[in-house]
Formats: sequence, structure tokens, C-alpha cells
Amino acid sequence: MFVIVVGGGKVGYYLTRELIGAGHEVVLLEKTRARAVQISDEIGSVVLSRDGTEGSALAEAGANRADIVAAVTGDDEDNLVICQMAKHHFSVKRTIARVNNPKNELLFRHLGVDEIISPTRMILGAIEQDIPVHELLHLADLGSGDLELIEALLTDESPAIGRTSGELPMPEGCTLFAYIRDGKALQVRPETQFRGGDKVIVIGRRECEDALRGTLIGDEEETAAI
Amino acid sequence: MNDSPRPALRRIVLALNGAPTDRLVVSYAASLGKPAKAELVALHVVEIDWTLPLDGSVSGLTEEAQRVLDIAEADAEHLGVRLEPVLLKARNVGAAIVDEAASQEADLLVLGLPYRKKFGGDFVMGSTVPYVFKNAPCTVWVVREPMPQEGA
Repeated sequence: MFVIVVGGGKVGYYLTRELIGAGHEVVLLEKTRARAVQISDEIGSVVLSRDGTEGSALAEAGANRADIVAAVTGDDEDNLVICQMAKHHFSVKRTIARVNNPKNELLFRHLGVDEIISPTRMILGAIEQDIPVHELLHLADLGSGDLELIEALLTDESPAIGRTSGELPMPEGCTLFAYIRDGKALQVRPETQFRGGDKVIVIGRRECEDALRGTLIGDEEETAAI
Repeated sequence: MNDSPRPALRRIVLALNGAPTDRLVVSYAASLGKPAKAELVALHVVEIDWTLPLDGSVSGLTEEAQRVLDIAEADAEHLGVRLEPVLLKARNVGAAIVDEAASQEADLLVLGLPYRKKFGGDFVMGSTVPYVFKNAPCTVWVVREPMPQEGA
């Protein structure tokens, strides 16, 4: 597989090294000459000292025949431009972008970036799994559509307590998938009755989050009043 | 003057680039290698840019490269030595020369350097010779062509 990596920071460097180690053909674009030379000295002549946001640089790197372009610079705007150019100008089959600001994820998705990697979101997710700061926790995006995997932590005050899953008015586009009780993952059946402390895993659309919160956790005002 | 004996020359790699300096490289390498009965390896690297796969067909370039090696072989024969031709395709000429010198366990690497000046008059060395100087594991000998005559 031929992969173009744009951005020679820590992520780009290690990504290039791992891909070469796995036997792939890789070229790395790094705009800072000194850094490009440094990487070239360490991993060989696979580095072009060019600015990957320029079409001519992507052309020189062989974007016309690339299977994947991975934009992993520290700058979201640059990563978006690189993926857009790769996709629409060079018809690259798969584009992957690093997104530093989670607020940019939606924009990247709408503009056709195939794969979005958000280190900030991943770390946030890992933290929230240990210390739930929201009752609804985004676990993962499912493919490139709008569906996502969401975890809801039920408290004793949740409106879902004492009701079976079949009785819960689930919002359109949301499906109860599984629940975790005492650390054990279990399948949700129509007769499953939820308890406080259960973590319910739902597959649902992003826009249903508010309705889902109301069904499983309760409205914030109501919860606060209790 | 140091009277220490010359180092043994078992294998000399000649990096040829198709320029007029190739004749000088072959000539000097032959004059050194012949008395030492050294093996002479003539290397020509075809640089393939990233728009093409390294194993793809580049027939025009390969034919030209073969011609460079054929001329060098004929020159060597005329000087009474034998050249082993090696044709490589690579992304970077300097790196390919260094890798080949290392894998051939060369004792000496000989390169030609055309005398070129850029606009403004500064001498241009290019990027291959400095790369080889910095990275080659063996002795490196660069044959720079003579300065052109004024008004020539």
C-alpha cells in the first residue's frame, strides 16, 4: 500500500516508521527543512521537505497513485485542506485526518474526510470512562455515518429504573444494545429491568442525544430538583 | 611526507551519472584499480520520482541508463580493465549510491562532479556529493571536471 503522511511531528514520524516496518511504501511531507533532514537521517530517504498544503507538493509526493493520505500536522486547518485536496483533486481512495479540536470533527466529516482521529476526544473518552463527567458518554463513531455508540450511566433517580427495556419510550433512531452490571456486559432483552449503577450501551443518532438523556437519565432540571 | 603503504583496494565502486565526468571517473578508477587488481563496479542510479512506483516500467530512462553503462564499459575495456555494471532504480541517488557501496563492501567510491555555477557565480555542488560525503562508509574520491576555459 502506498501511503502519504503529511506532517513530520511525533505522530507523523512514528506513523511513517511503523508503516515502513510493516512493509508499506511511504513518503512523508514535512515543511520544515531542518526537521525533514533530521527524519531523513533517521529513517531514510522517504522524506520530502515540502508543504503538504500545496497541491504541487502532493503531486510531487505521488498523490495521483496514493492509496491513503494521512494528514497528521498539529494544525486542523492544514489537515482539512490536505484531505480535501487529496480527495477532490487527486481522487485518493482514503483520507485520514488528525483533528485536535473536537469541535472541528463535524466539519471534517461534512467535508468528506473519510477517517477522523481526535486524540483530544480519545483522551476525554478514557477519562470519562473512569470519572463520568457526563451521564451520557460518547464511546465511538460507527463508520462515517451519523450513528454512534453511547453509554448512559443510570442513577437511582433515572426514569428508566424499575422499568423493563420494552417499556422504555426509546427515541426514533436509538436502539438499546447492551448493559454493564457489576462489570459484566449483558445483552438487553425486552424483559430486562434496569437498576441504578447500570451502564446502558445504546446505538443511536447524534441528534437523538437529548431525547435519549430524557428517557434514560432524566432531564437535568428534574434531576437537580430531586 | 608519509611513507605508509597504500590501503588495499579490493573493490572500487564508480558512481556514474551520464555526464562527461564519467570518462574521468573510469580513467582514474582504472589507473588506481588496475595495479591493485581491484574489482571495478560501475553503478548508475535512475532516480524515480514518487509519482511512479519503484518497480514500474520506465523504459526510456532505463535505455538511457544502459547506454551510460555501455559507454563506461567500452572505456574501461580500452584501458585494459573490466567493469561490472550495476543499474539501480531509487528515489534518491545519494542514498542508493551509499547503500550500494555498503552492500558491495567497497574500499573506495569514486564520483564525478561537473563544474557548474549558478546565477551569480557561486559554485554548485548539488545534493548527491554532500550526501555521499556524509554517509558513505568507505573512502570517497570526487573527480571534479576541469574549470572551463574563459570564453570557451
